Amino acid sequence: MTLTELPTPATTTETPMSTATPRQRRANPLRSESRGVRISAWIAVIICGGFALLPIYWLLATSLTPRTEVFAFPPRLWPSEISFEAYASLVNNPTLFTYLGNSVIVSVVTAVLSVLVSAYMGYSFSKFRYRGRRSLMYFVLASQMFPQALLLVTLYTVFAAYNLLNTYTALVLSFTTFTLPLCVWMLKGFFDTIPDELIEAARVDGASRLRIIHSIILPLSAPGLIAAGLFAFVRGWNDFVFALTLAGPDKQTLPPGLVNTYIGEASTAWPELMAASLVVSLPVAIAFIALQRFLVGGMTAGAVKG
Amino acid sequence: MTFTLNREQNITKDTKPRRISDGMFAVLLAAPGLALLLAVVVYPLVTALVTAFFKQSLVLPGREFVGLQNIVDILTGDFARLLGQTLVFTLGTTIFPFIIGMALALALNTRIPGGKTLRGLMLLPWLIPGVVVSFLWMWIFNANYGVMNALLQALGVISEPQAWLAQPTTAMIAVIVAKTWQSFPWMMVMLLAGLQTVPKELHEAAEIDGAGTIRRFFSITVPQIRGIIGLVLLLEFIWNFQHFDIIYVLTGGGPAGSTQTFATAVYDTAFHGFDLGHAGALGLLWMILLMGLVVVYVRFSEKGEK
Repeated sequence: MTLTELPTPATTTETPMSTATPRQRRANPLRSESRGVRISAWIAVIICGGFALLPIYWLLATSLTPRTEVFAFPPRLWPSEISFEAYASLVNNPTLFTYLGNSVIVSVVTAVLSVLVSAYMGYSFSKFRYRGRRSLMYFVLASQMFPQALLLVTLYTVFAAYNLLNTYTALVLSFTTFTLPLCVWMLKGFFDTIPDELIEAARVDGASRLRIIHSIILPLSAPGLIAAGLFAFVRGWNDFVFALTLAGPDKQTLPPGLVNTYIGEASTAWPELMAASLVVSLPVAIAFIALQRFLVGGMTAGAVKG
Repeated sequence: MTFTLNREQNITKDTKPRRISDGMFAVLLAAPGLALLLAVVVYPLVTALVTAFFKQSLVLPGREFVGLQNIVDILTGDFARLLGQTLVFTLGTTIFPFIIGMALALALNTRIPGGKTLRGLMLLPWLIPGVVVSFLWMWIFNANYGVMNALLQALGVISEPQAWLAQPTTAMIAVIVAKTWQSFPWMMVMLLAGLQTVPKELHEAAEIDGAGTIRRFFSITVPQIRGIIGLVLLLEFIWNFQHFDIIYVLTGGGPAGSTQTFATAVYDTAFHGFDLGHAGALGLLWMILLMGLVVVYVRFSEKGEK
C-alpha cells in the first residue's frame, strides 16, 4: 500500500489548512478530525447536552419563579421577575434543618468510617498474599450486586431486634457496608501502584506493619482516600430508601425528609421543592467538580485496565 | 564487619515486633470490613431468603412453615408481569444511556473547544440525588403545568396535554427517561476513558488505508474498547435490575402497578403489605435471576485483572 490518500466523503473533504484557522488547528491536532467529524461532534453535544442541561435549567428557573406564576399553562420559560421567596420559605422551615443536620452527621460519619475500613481491607488485598484472598476480593465485589430492597426487609427486623431502628448507627452501618465494594477496590488499585520496595525499606528501618500503613501508605494515597471518602459521603447524602425505612422523622435525612414534606400534598409547592432540591444537590456537585481530577481517575482506574 | 552488624540489626528489628504472622495480620486488616459485610449483607440476605418458606408478618411475632406455597403464589400471580416490566425498565435504562453516553464520549474525544467544561457540566445529572431527579421529572411531566407537554405540543408531537404519570405506557416512558437522564453521565465518563486508551496510530494508519470515519469506529474503536463497553452495559444492567428510588418516588410503581419492578414490589409487599413471606419468595426468585448476572460480572472482572 502506498501512502497515497484515498479520500472518503466522511473523512477528508479538504485539508486542514484550507478549513481551519490556526487557532482551530491547535484545538484539533489530529488530522483525522475532518469537518464531518467536527460537525457530528457538535450535533451530538447540542442534542445530548440539551437533554442533560435543560432539566437543570428548569430546576433553577422554577425555584426562582414567583409562586403565582408557576401554575400556568403553557409554562413561562423564564420567570417575569426573579423571586427568592421559595428559598426564604426554606429558611423558615425548622424541620428541614433537622433533616439537614441528620444528613450531615450520617454522611460525614459514613465517609470517615468507610475510608478507615476500606483502607485496611484494600491494603490487605493489595500487599499480602494469603489463602482465600481472591475469593474474598470477589465476594466483596459481588456483594454490591445483592438487591438492597431485599436486604432492607430483613435489615429492618435485625435492627429492630437490637433496638437500632431510628438511630444514626443503623444508617451509618448500612451505608458504610454498601460503599465497601467500590472503596476497597478503588483503594486497592491505589495501593497496587505503591512499590513494594518502599515497604521493604521501611521494614528494614524497623517500622512496624501498622506504622508502615499509617505513616507511609496512607499519606501517599491521599487522592485515593479523598475520592473514596467523597464517594462514601455521597452514598450517605443521596440515599433514599434506607433512610426512609430505618429512620423515623427525627433521624431522617434530607431525601426522605423532602418526600415527606412536599410529596402527596394536594398541590405541591413546586418552587419550594425545586429550591430545596437545588440546595440538597449543591454540596455534592461542588465537591465533585472541585475534585473531578481524582474522581474520574479513581472511577475508571480499575475498569480501563482490562 | 559492618555487613554483619547490619544483618544482625535487620534480624532483630525485623522479627521483634511481629508476634503475629503476616497472613494473620492481613486477615485482621480485612476483618472489620468482612464483619460489616457479614452482618449487613450476608446475614440479612440469608434470613430474607429463608422467610420465603414461611408465613411471616413484619409486625406480628411468630411464623409458620409453609414450604413452597409462597413461591407458588408468586409464580402463579404477578411474576410474569413483574419480570416483563423489570426487563422493559432495565433494557430501556441501559440502552438509551449507552447511546447518549457513547455519542457524547465520541464528541468529547475529538477535543472540541470547551470539552473539559462540557464534561464537567454533563456530570451534573449523575451527581444529583435520585430523589431530586424524581422531583424534577415529576415536575417536568406534570399533567397540568408540565413543561414536557408544552414542549411536545409546540413541536406538534402530541395534540393535547398528557397525564404522563397517570397512564401505564407513558408512566413507564417517564421513569425510563428520568433514569436515563441520571445514568448517561457515568456511561460517558467510562466510555471516554476507554476511548482515550485507543492508540491514535491505529486511526491514522486506517485513515491512510482509506477507512472512513464510520468504518474506523466499527473496525477500530469498538474492538479496542470492547472490554469497557461490555463492563458498562453489564454493570448498568445489574444496577437497573434492582433500581428503586426513581420509580418509587416518581410513580410509586403505579398507575395500577404498571411501573412496578422487582425492587418496588418486594418493598411494597414487605413494608406496605407487611407480608415478609411473599416478599422473601419474590426476593428469592429475583436473586436467582440476579446471581446469573453477577456470575457473568465476576468472570468478566477476573478476565480484566489478568
